[in-house]
Amino acid sequence: MSKKECVAMLLAGGQGSRLGALTKSIAKPAVSFGGKYRIIDFALSNCANSEINTVGVLTQYRPYVLHSYLGTGAAWDLDEAGGGISVLPPYATESGGAWYAGTADAIYQNIGYLETQDPEYVLILSGDHLYSMDYRKMIAEHKKNNADLTVSVMQVPWEEAPRFGILTADENGQISKFTEKPAEPDSNLASMGIYVFSCDVLVKALKEDAEDPDSEHDFGNNIIPKLLAEGKRLFVYEFEGFWKDVGTIASYMETNMQLLGAEPEFNLYSKTFPIMSNEPTRPPQFIGKGAVVDDSIVSNGCLVFGDVKHSVLSTDAIVGEHAVVEDSILLPGAVVEDRARVVNAILGEHARVLEGCAFGSKDEDTSVVGDNAVVGKGDE
Amino acid sequence: MSSVERAVGLITTNYSIRHPSALTKDRPPASVPVAGRFRMVDFALSSMSNSGMRDIGIILSNNYRSIIDHLESGKAWALDRKHGGLFLLPGSSFGTQRSGARFLLRDLVQNSQFLERTTKPYVILSAASVIINMDLVALVDEHIKSGADITVVCQKSEEDNPSLVNFTCADDGRVSGEHLGVKAGELAFLDLCVMSVDILKTLLSWYKGNDYLDLFEALTPDLGRVDVRPYLYDGIALPVFSPEAYFKNSMKLLDPKITGEIFNRNRPIHTKSHDNPPAKYIPGAQVRNTIAAGGVRIAGFVEDSILGRDVIVEEGASVRNSIIMTSCVIEAGAKVENAIIDRNNVIASRVELKGTPEDILIKGRGF
Repeated sequence: MSKKECVAMLLAGGQGSRLGALTKSIAKPAVSFGGKYRIIDFALSNCANSEINTVGVLTQYRPYVLHSYLGTGAAWDLDEAGGGISVLPPYATESGGAWYAGTADAIYQNIGYLETQDPEYVLILSGDHLYSMDYRKMIAEHKKNNADLTVSVMQVPWEEAPRFGILTADENGQISKFTEKPAEPDSNLASMGIYVFSCDVLVKALKEDAEDPDSEHDFGNNIIPKLLAEGKRLFVYEFEGFWKDVGTIASYMETNMQLLGAEPEFNLYSKTFPIMSNEPTRPPQFIGKGAVVDDSIVSNGCLVFGDVKHSVLSTDAIVGEHAVVEDSILLPGAVVEDRARVVNAILGEHARVLEGCAFGSKDEDTSVVGDNAVVGKGDE
Repeated sequence: MSSVERAVGLITTNYSIRHPSALTKDRPPASVPVAGRFRMVDFALSSMSNSGMRDIGIILSNNYRSIIDHLESGKAWALDRKHGGLFLLPGSSFGTQRSGARFLLRDLVQNSQFLERTTKPYVILSAASVIINMDLVALVDEHIKSGADITVVCQKSEEDNPSLVNFTCADDGRVSGEHLGVKAGELAFLDLCVMSVDILKTLLSWYKGNDYLDLFEALTPDLGRVDVRPYLYDGIALPVFSPEAYFKNSMKLLDPKITGEIFNRNRPIHTKSHDNPPAKYIPGAQVRNTIAAGGVRIAGFVEDSILGRDVIVEEGASVRNSIIMTSCVIEAGAKVENAIIDRNNVIASRVELKGTPEDILIKGRGF
């Protein structure tokens, strides 16, 4: 693939309000995940592993941590002259300025960036999905079909189809219908929110959509139906593999836990398709004399002196002596002090459960505290 | 600008150790792996970088492959600078054979351009054989205050060590004698010192005819006219000049107090990032008193050990009191005890590799 054949546009501006306390101070794509990663690592690693070296990252909500995490893009080998990562926040012009009003509007406001890069194809990605995917295969499919738009889909169980945007396609994969959350689905192909557009088709559609006062400026609700109505060539690309939206506390928890065990569905340890991250240099983890660590993921910089079972410990998390951590996620720098008990819980970055205190319970929904929170006697 | 930011660093890696082993067969002592993810040179480099130094030369040994691979552009230590930064300097072929001399004159003379070009007034010289995390600001301040020509960092040795340099001092506190080998209780040189660039240039011009000597060997007859003073360091310093010392001092890092000081979170030891995944404890794993690096996957038993990056300990395998380096696999049922297993080894099932606490078994790198 020639280098400017494709530019990726990564939508990373969403608030992620369904992640509650975890996104109080940072954008969803920057939320810690799987011990040492942040959610955006998976999409960025996919780009790097797919040899897509030009990525525009659209940011908006609480961008500081996300921006500093992206840095120059070097952590994903995306620091290249003439390409690499470009951070694209909303901006002001001589006629004022506006926030991104929807996924399509965010790209529309950066048409200038696309025109500068002048690619053949544009890959639209979300910064909040866990999956490994070689986008080159999808782009090849798009070219083979001579498509205007290719939508990545996966089969979901029929009973779950009403929760997704569902695409109906013929035997050649050509899309005939798109229905958002259909009550009575006639297909079980769910959109993964990953699109390959031919650039000229995208630019034209975005410009027209921007003029439409009734549009919500959303890819799923507006752009896809519009292109279908115009009789454009829309195809599905069926993805087989592990893909999870980590947009709610429940799915965030479940997806983290799915990384545990001897042979999880999602492989963090691939040498040929590695997941890259902007890791700080931390010393290796230390497991103390009296510690028990079972069925868990533990990251660099962790100190474990107590019992850790079926849990994910992120960088620099600390578990004190005789403390218990079970079915829980400790985000970077979270501390469970001596004799404290954390069960079925998520502790935000640098959150702390004080000595002898308890947090969370097996019998309730997952308990969550935000970044820098302190759980003391009264808060149990 | 703090005083230390007015200093350039010069780290030597072109020397061998007195008792070479399989660990230093293909690599200089400076790139021996430590604590699962570091290499020896990281300690001197990070101490300098964390103190604010951004001009550092490294005198390479002939077997430089591993060290160049490790240092890259110097980015991990903030040394990929437009101005200054990391300088890789060629060492002489003689150095690799010389075990006593950590500051071989020939290496310094050959690289005197590094000193000619700098505009900074001080130079901190260091070897790379001590596990240490030192704030160098106080050292340079003390050097300037005392007016000494050279300030050498020393510590009272806890034990006899034939590889460390001993300094004896006169009543006025000045160094009056130097020789290789310390006895317990004597002053041991931690192969770290500071002087002005001008003094180093002068010394090199004096001694260039005897360039097969170590700087401090050559200096001994001149201690009357060169003012050398010790600076007592009271922090943790773990010298590594033999496989025995390497094993013993690595195992000291299992003491949370020692590891807490060496890997001080406010003054981190930096190293090349390999960006390994986090470690995985598979159901049934039993792990106690162990340091484990990224990418490790454990299903078996591990106690009192250090596991390097990407080490796999399969179900039913056991590792006790051992150092297992990067990418080794301990297969189901294999047993490793009192051993150092260098990188890329596969210990097949049912194989038992056992040394004794007094006589550690060393297995050289797999490939």
